[in-house]
Amino acid sequence: MTNLTQTRNDEIESYLAGLDGALRGVRREERDEILREIRTHILDSLPDNPQTGVDAVLRRLGAPERLAEQYQTEFLLTQASHSFSPWLLLSSAWRWAHTGVRGFAVFMVAMVGYVTAAGFLISALLKPFMPNEVGLWVGRGTFGFGDLGHRAGVHEVLGSWYIPVTMFLAFGAAVGTTHALRWLIRTRKRPAQ
Amino acid sequence: MAANGNGERGQHWEAQLRKGCLEMAILSSLWMGRLYGLEILRCLADKSNLEVAEGTVYPILARLRAEGLLQAEWVEAEAGHPRKYYWLTGPGRRRAQEMAEAWSNFSASLTILVEPVLKGNKS
Repeated sequence: MTNLTQTRNDEIESYLAGLDGALRGVRREERDEILREIRTHILDSLPDNPQTGVDAVLRRLGAPERLAEQYQTEFLLTQASHSFSPWLLLSSAWRWAHTGVRGFAVFMVAMVGYVTAAGFLISALLKPFMPNEVGLWVGRGTFGFGDLGHRAGVHEVLGSWYIPVTMFLAFGAAVGTTHALRWLIRTRKRPAQ
Repeated sequence: MAANGNGERGQHWEAQLRKGCLEMAILSSLWMGRLYGLEILRCLADKSNLEVAEGTVYPILARLRAEGLLQAEWVEAEAGHPRKYYWLTGPGRRRAQEMAEAWSNFSASLTILVEPVLKGNKS
C-alpha cells in the first residue's frame, strides 16, 4: 500500500469515525447502515475526482457533525410523528427548535402544554396533604388553581371534586399537546438543506 | 450594497425553491427504476441541473424509506463493492405522481404570469 493510499484511507476512516461519534442517539444498526452507505458513496465518488481527491469528496458531503445533525433531525422527527411518547416528542421539538423560528415556536407549545399538564397533576397529588391550601380559588378578582387559599375574600369551590377535575385537566392537556405536536411534526416544513 | 442585498435575497430564494423541490426530484429520479445514492445525485445534476450538497440527499433517502415511500437493498456489484439501491414503493409512486401533477399545474399557472416579465414588456 502506497503512502498516498494510506493517507487517503486514514482521511476516510477519520471522517467516518467523526460521523459515528456525532450520530450518538441513533440506533446502532441504523448507524452502521449509514456509515456503510457513506463509505460506499466516498469510494464511488473518488474516480470522479482524481485530481482533487478525497478532500473534495468529503467537503461535498459536509462536516460529519452537520451530516449527522441532518440524519438525526430526519430520523427523530419521523419517529416522533408516529409516537405518543412525550419524551420523544419533546426531544424532537427541542432538536427542531435549533433549526428555525417555527421549530422554536413548536418547542414552546410543547413546553407550555406539558408543564400545564404536570402542574395540574402535581396539584392533584398535593391536595390530600394540603386540603386547605390547594384548590380552585374564586373571589375578589381571583380565579386560579393551586395555593391561593390564604387571601381574604377568596374561597375554594371544587371541594372533593378538585382531584378528579385536575386529573382530567392534566390528562386533557397532555393528550392535547401530544396530538398537537404529532400534527405539527407531520406537517412540518423540511429542515434547511 | 442594495444590489448585493438583492443578489443575496435572490440566491436565498432560489435555494429555498430548490430545497422545496428536492423530495419531488428524488422520487421522480426513481420513477424509471432502482438507483443507488450517487446515481440519484448524478441524475439530479444531469437531468435537472439540480446540484445539491451531497450530504443532504442521504438523510432524505433515509426518511423517505422510514415513511414507506422507498425500499432499499444492498446489491453486490460484479466489480467493486456492494451498493445500496433504492426504489419506489406503491405509496411512493402515488406520492411522486401527486407531487408531479401539483408541480405541473403550479408551474403552468406561474409561467403565464411571468411571461411578460421574461419578455421585458411594460404593457
